[in-house]
Amino acid sequence: MMVMVAGALAGARTVCAQDKLALDGSTTVGPIAKAFAEYTMRQNQNVNITVSESGSGNGAKALLNGTCDIANLSRDLKESERQAMEQKGVKPVAHVVAYDGLPVIVHPSNRVKGLTLEQVRDIYTGKVTNWKQVGGADLPIVVISRDTNSGTFETFKELVLGKEAKICEGTEYTGSNGGVRQRVQMTKGAIGFAGLGFVDRSVKALEINGVAPSAETVVAKSYPISRELFMFTKGEPAPDGLVAAFIGLSRSEKGREIIEEIGFVPVPEKK
Amino acid sequence: MRMSTRKLLDRAFTWGACLAVGLMALFLVLVLAPILVRGAGAYVFRATTEYRRMMLDQFGRGDEAQIQAERAAVAEARRPLYEALDAFERSLPDLPAARRKELKPAFQEVREGLRLLLGPEPGEPLPALTRRLYGQTRWDRAQEKVRNVLCEETWDYSGEGEGVRVWVPRAPKFAGTALEPLFPLLERDLEGLLRPRLTFYPRFLTDKSLDIHFFGGIGAEVAGTVYLALGAMLIAVPLGIVAAVYFQEYAREGAVITLLRSCVNTLAGVPSVVFGLFGLAFFINTLHVSPGKSVLAGSLTLALLVLPTVIRASEEAIAAVPRAYKEAALALGAGQWRTILTVILPAALPGILTGTVISMGRAAGETAPIIFTAAVSYGALVRPSEVLSQATPALSWNLYNICTEHEAVDEIRHVQYGMAATLVLIVLTLNLTAILIRARVAKRLKG
Repeated sequence: MMVMVAGALAGARTVCAQDKLALDGSTTVGPIAKAFAEYTMRQNQNVNITVSESGSGNGAKALLNGTCDIANLSRDLKESERQAMEQKGVKPVAHVVAYDGLPVIVHPSNRVKGLTLEQVRDIYTGKVTNWKQVGGADLPIVVISRDTNSGTFETFKELVLGKEAKICEGTEYTGSNGGVRQRVQMTKGAIGFAGLGFVDRSVKALEINGVAPSAETVVAKSYPISRELFMFTKGEPAPDGLVAAFIGLSRSEKGREIIEEIGFVPVPEKK
Repeated sequence: MRMSTRKLLDRAFTWGACLAVGLMALFLVLVLAPILVRGAGAYVFRATTEYRRMMLDQFGRGDEAQIQAERAAVAEARRPLYEALDAFERSLPDLPAARRKELKPAFQEVREGLRLLLGPEPGEPLPALTRRLYGQTRWDRAQEKVRNVLCEETWDYSGEGEGVRVWVPRAPKFAGTALEPLFPLLERDLEGLLRPRLTFYPRFLTDKSLDIHFFGGIGAEVAGTVYLALGAMLIAVPLGIVAAVYFQEYAREGAVITLLRSCVNTLAGVPSVVFGLFGLAFFINTLHVSPGKSVLAGSLTLALLVLPTVIRASEEAIAAVPRAYKEAALALGAGQWRTILTVILPAALPGILTGTVISMGRAAGETAPIIFTAAVSYGALVRPSEVLSQATPALSWNLYNICTEHEAVDEIRHVQYGMAATLVLIVLTLNLTAILIRARVAKRLKG
């Protein structure tokens, strides 16, 4: 054991800071960040990239505290977060890496095909409590939401509920996109929302205002609950550094393919 | 009390105790058996030809000539499938418009299903993600996937209330088209298309994961867990022994010592997540032991968590050393320090070791303390030289992560069970070691 410690002490000095990258934040951006990390590490064996998925809010905090190099956020920074960063002398720079829609999902046994934005709002604020009120079977609605630390929650609140709205009591809060999907997959009568890349055939994505969520409708902005996914850095990254290369991947051909294959929408090429 | 009542009570107590022990054993089996059995599926499973191709490409393992020959044979078996796809696609423009509109999306689904099952079509540009470069590598998964090609999963909402799941065979839909022969071929000859063979994959334990656990093993997680547990012991054991020696040999009973003892006991009762938050706030944000999460910060936090256990176990071990040993050493002229170092500690060592190994099991299995201080959901294998500054994946945390946060949870069930079984086995082995040590001590003390 002593040998191990001695080795560690000797090795620590030789590890170059440039070769390491720590990412923290959104569980929605997580799959993209992990796939990019794997791709980058395959290209360059000397690089070590770690990705944590603790939610957008914690990602912003980690950037503020200097415990990560890139913060993944599924929403823009809040005013309070920007102010806190300014006070600490951290200048956050936003990079849009992909687009995402927020499909509203239900159990596949649910006969409801689509809802209007107002109906979704009524369900989440507790005005509508049974599926029969919106054309479904006589079944109480189980409302599932992301936790309030997540960017997905913030986006949903802003785009669907409005700033002032209060989510109904009895709502279940779940800590990750995958968690919401699993909860909906197992519960008849459940309703939830998750990033486009997390929704598969095990749940049913509803049409909202008559538009089904898909890559096309998100790009065309016809699907009403769409958003941008961000990576934030401290200041503008050095153009030839690892951070710039990592984020630049999202605009490269390979990176766009990766984003698409995971199920998100790459940023359209500039015309 | 009358004699007969006493006997009755005595017997009832015996039976009650037996029942309690039996129930406990039963629950242990109920909990462990499914985990271990399903976890074994990560190590021993029926692997398809896709698995062997992936292993050769990605890890450079396997007999290249043999695998190439198998590839050729499989490609030959798959040719009629792709011919049917091609022929159908060519015939699409000739179909009546209504029928074309009906069949085209269904055809796309079949095609996508085939890609998932058998990998990219020959001559197709290769996809970017490793998971899409190969078809199903496991026979159990392949059998599930083939159903999605043969049948369409739909929901029937015609009845009252909730919809009902129906699997509608696709073949009748394509009756009379060039695609028709594809379905019986898939149904009949899936084995020929994928060539499943029972495979033992022991390197699941040490291999790196590929494409976030789609392929490969759990080497980075296992290494992370080992580092964290060893690191915690490296810090907690010396501190714990010194504290125990102080409590047992030097401290005079008084208000201060009573307070200190109750502090240690309170520390033992603090929920582990509190240690995690403390570790983040103290070691990382205040002391800056590392720029961010790291094995070091995690080990320090875990060390705090197990410290009370180590102190108590060591105290007990020291207290159990016969007084005569100590008195003999003192009578021979050894000082107190020398007595402790050469007589008491060696005699107490087996007891101390037992406590250490049990605490190590605890440290290896804990999740909450490392979430904020050491664990990441994705990272490469950490080298021993990097433990001071590098964060690491670890079994306990990543098990949770790939069960809930992973974007394809259902596709990697075998990895989840494999990870769970491995973690349980590591903790079990550590506890068994502790039991063995204890047994040896008991024997030595008797003899």
